[in-house]
Amino acid sequence: MSRGKRIAGALAIPAGVLIVCMLISMSCGVSLFGSPLSRITFVRAGANVLLVTFALSINLNSGRFDFSIGSAALLSSVISSMITLKLNAGPVVMLILSVVIGGILGLLSGFVYVTVKLPPIIVSLGMALFYEGMAFTLTGGHGVSFASNTALLGFGTVTNYLLISAAALILMIAVFDHTSFGYEYKALVSGQKVAVNTGIREVPNALICYLIAGALMGAQGFISATNNGAITMSLNFGSISPMFMAFLPMFIGGFIGRYTSDKVGYLLGALTSATISLTYIRLDIPSSTQQIVSALLMVTFLIYLNNEGKLKQLLKH
Amino acid sequence: MMKSLRKFLVLQLSLMMALCLGACSGGGSGQAEDPSAKTVKIGVLVSDTTSAEALAFRSYYEDYIKSVYNVEFMFSDELKDAAAEQSAIDNFIANNCQGIISMASADRPAQIEKCESEKIYYAVATGTLTDEQYETYKGYEYYVGAIGPDLSIEYQTGYDMAKYFLDQGYTKFGMFTGASVYFTEMHIYRAAGMLAAMCDAGNGTYNGVTGMDIVGKIMADGGEVTTGKIGSIELNGVVSGYDFDDAWFGKLAAVANDPEVEVLLAVGSGQVTFAGFKPEGKMLGDIDCYTADSVGLMEAGTLNYLAGKFSASIGPIFAATLSAAYGKPIRTSEGNAFALSQGYWVAKDAETAKKYYEVDSSVTDPAYSKEQLDTLIGASYDDFAKFVSAYSFDEIKK
Amino acid sequence: MKNRQRKINAAGILNAAPVIGLILLAAVFVIIALVKDINLSYSFKNIVNQSIITMVVATGAIYIYTLGAFDISLGASMCVSAIVGAMAFNRTGSLAVMLAVCLGCAVLISLISSLLASVFNLPVFVTTIAMLSLLNALVMVLIRANGTGDVVQVPAAAVRSINNVWFRLLVLALFMILCVTTFNYMKLGRQEKFVGGNPLCAKLTGMNAKKLSVIGFMMAGIGVGLGAFLTIVYAPTLSRNTAGSVGMDVIISIVFGGMPVSGGARSRITSAAVGALSMTMLSQIMLVLNLDSGISQMVKAAIFLLVVSVSMLNSRKQILPR
Repeated sequence: MSRGKRIAGALAIPAGVLIVCMLISMSCGVSLFGSPLSRITFVRAGANVLLVTFALSINLNSGRFDFSIGSAALLSSVISSMITLKLNAGPVVMLILSVVIGGILGLLSGFVYVTVKLPPIIVSLGMALFYEGMAFTLTGGHGVSFASNTALLGFGTVTNYLLISAAALILMIAVFDHTSFGYEYKALVSGQKVAVNTGIREVPNALICYLIAGALMGAQGFISATNNGAITMSLNFGSISPMFMAFLPMFIGGFIGRYTSDKVGYLLGALTSATISLTYIRLDIPSSTQQIVSALLMVTFLIYLNNEGKLKQLLKH
Repeated sequence: MMKSLRKFLVLQLSLMMALCLGACSGGGSGQAEDPSAKTVKIGVLVSDTTSAEALAFRSYYEDYIKSVYNVEFMFSDELKDAAAEQSAIDNFIANNCQGIISMASADRPAQIEKCESEKIYYAVATGTLTDEQYETYKGYEYYVGAIGPDLSIEYQTGYDMAKYFLDQGYTKFGMFTGASVYFTEMHIYRAAGMLAAMCDAGNGTYNGVTGMDIVGKIMADGGEVTTGKIGSIELNGVVSGYDFDDAWFGKLAAVANDPEVEVLLAVGSGQVTFAGFKPEGKMLGDIDCYTADSVGLMEAGTLNYLAGKFSASIGPIFAATLSAAYGKPIRTSEGNAFALSQGYWVAKDAETAKKYYEVDSSVTDPAYSKEQLDTLIGASYDDFAKFVSAYSFDEIKK
Repeated sequence: MKNRQRKINAAGILNAAPVIGLILLAAVFVIIALVKDINLSYSFKNIVNQSIITMVVATGAIYIYTLGAFDISLGASMCVSAIVGAMAFNRTGSLAVMLAVCLGCAVLISLISSLLASVFNLPVFVTTIAMLSLLNALVMVLIRANGTGDVVQVPAAAVRSINNVWFRLLVLALFMILCVTTFNYMKLGRQEKFVGGNPLCAKLTGMNAKKLSVIGFMMAGIGVGLGAFLTIVYAPTLSRNTAGSVGMDVIISIVFGGMPVSGGARSRITSAAVGALSMTMLSQIMLVLNLDSGISQMVKAAIFLLVVSVSMLNSRKQILPR
């Protein structure tokens, strides 16, 4: 495939969505990126979705469905913010703590998985309940509030969000595309039994996957917390909802991955998703309409993706 | 052999269940001869386990009331719908609770009917019945009564909050209308009150209506409040719902940072919605409760007006329920259950908020102490009503 | 020979772990009830009563799980079906119409999910995620269209005569008979297990996986429809939160009951009932102990993982499960 074709293929969806959204906004007399706040909102949404998409995809690509990623983000941000507020420290300390604690929580989930050897979806249900319960207990149910802490709230700038996104992207590409761990991961994804039989150590590989996913969710929890200055508690699987925002960008990313690296695909998928979110905000679309539009977009895209061959044949005739 | 083992286990379990089901006709709560000497079990129905308000209420009951009265509290899980409320009441009956205090409102008539049929005292805290419901249930023997802000107080609270800022000359507003889009009446009435104050101050109408008619207008619009000019007042941004997704947070940030918005008004949760996004210089008013966080926000100038429920406000309803369990129910002169209204403590500065919070969070000397509540057990309706109606901070501390 | 017999015995005991777990939980509950002042007979009636709706929905969902698929939209589907059923009752005043509409609506939603998945070759789980969003939005549209504030209500008097544990048990029994018969004694169950366990082999033997998937979703739809009907009878005030926890309750119950999430030959139709009873029993124990909500949830999580780990001890493979 020529370079030009690859670039065109990779950018077709995000650019197409951007153009459509801009046209719709313009027809309503609204400029999509008309204010600095719009730009921050767009970049923050992009970073948020990117981190969740990376975290979800690491294990989902290996057939490991993880319901606990949202609760890991919740608990890591609770612990990190409590420590940060106690030490009267700044956002960088909180970010580092969030990532480290998120990684530890991810590792713990992975450890339970490889120890009890239950299907990952079951382990993740148990761990989600456990982490939610722990966050609730640690804060006495009150959550954490720092809405008047300008140092922590001040972190939310375009540059900082871009830095976090770039760091996550570089980490993902470096670890999964340029290390022996990454090669082994890919081997396990494409043929678990064969890979294990060839001597690839599956358990450490799975543990590292959970560790990285947890660390990414730690960063996501940090962005959410410092965005609005409060962490509210969730019980009974209330924390799983962030996971759902990652599916559309993940599928878009998977499609774009044909033309470039799948990681770049996820980035472009996240940007597509952020564009749609920004359009909802700028046009003040009601929540129920948003839900319907997003669901229909996902189904339509998947129908296309899973029936591409048939559609092409149909068009030829 | 293993099949036999499984069958045996299943059979054993089925027998156990069947025996217990068969014996269930003898269920129900027993009544001791000297009720004040025996621990009284009270179940508390809660629709929200994580809000600051719900946690403060729980703390008042568990940390203070339980330490000074011979009572035991059982708290339900978070009750999201009517079915969960019915199950929670069944749980309390199974645990031989003598009274139930309800802070859940998915289906209050069903709660009352259930408690009446099971002969368990039932009281409504932090809310009231509609007039129609009250007429239906006021004569029920086991319906104790209700204390809480009625809808006219909710409306007035919203009105007063908006008026406070309007009186200072502010003319450009943004609103968070919370669960109005889910048709939650409490939030609709508060929002309507705010809009009514804008109509009065701006000498205009909200989409053609004013005053209490705004409630009907919001209901007719599916719980949505729309932006626009209200006479000389501008409502330039509205956010509703609790989606907690990027679009929702983005909308909050957009309204909070809109240069055409001077004052942000929240029907609730203002401290977790607008506060984090609000730039310096803008005003924020909220209807919620007194917590360490809210005091901190007022001290920092982030929050400028707070109409808050105080945790001990659920003290009198506890006293009435206990009194009923002791065989001394408080009834009106016609022998009916009571329906009493109680409002909010309003703080317009950090010092006042701090003063309120210190009292409100105390587990040794709360707003309503045992000595005060003791006077309500077996009290006449008039004395009880007088006590409840004197709910302002100064009246209570006097 | 003896060794083999011992292995078979051990496997059997492990298979029975969910039932043993349920008995242990019941025993713990009885002990606590004796120590504390608890009405034991009412408690057991209550536990059965509270488990029935989850049992019905989860038993229907077994047909989807057996195929190795997964539906996260069951709670939302139940909410929509209940609201439409209640609206139908308010127009006709007939409980039979309400039941028919609940069933029809739930089966229709299930069919849409399965047809989307099978006709367009979409992953079932993803289809159900999209359906979850669509149905949640539909609930708000229906409530708004009904024009009675934030709820849709059926008069309590209309359902009072059937609002008792015996009626619920009757519905459960009838549905269980249908499910046990079709799953354990008819071709449908065997084919479902085959397709779930080895789809390629099943296809090569001439089985139509798409057709089985549609039938499986229809059975799940019947469970959801009955669950919706029972929900209206139990609590006739419906809101956007109705059945909000059912989706996750179903997953937890099925797993707690010893059903493998990968489906296949080890699928058991009774898993859902055992799991739902266990979960309710566990919740009752937590309630009686009056633990803090957070600690209670952590304990529940630990017990859940423990019971499921024991029940699946004999299905461990060398490689990590997926």
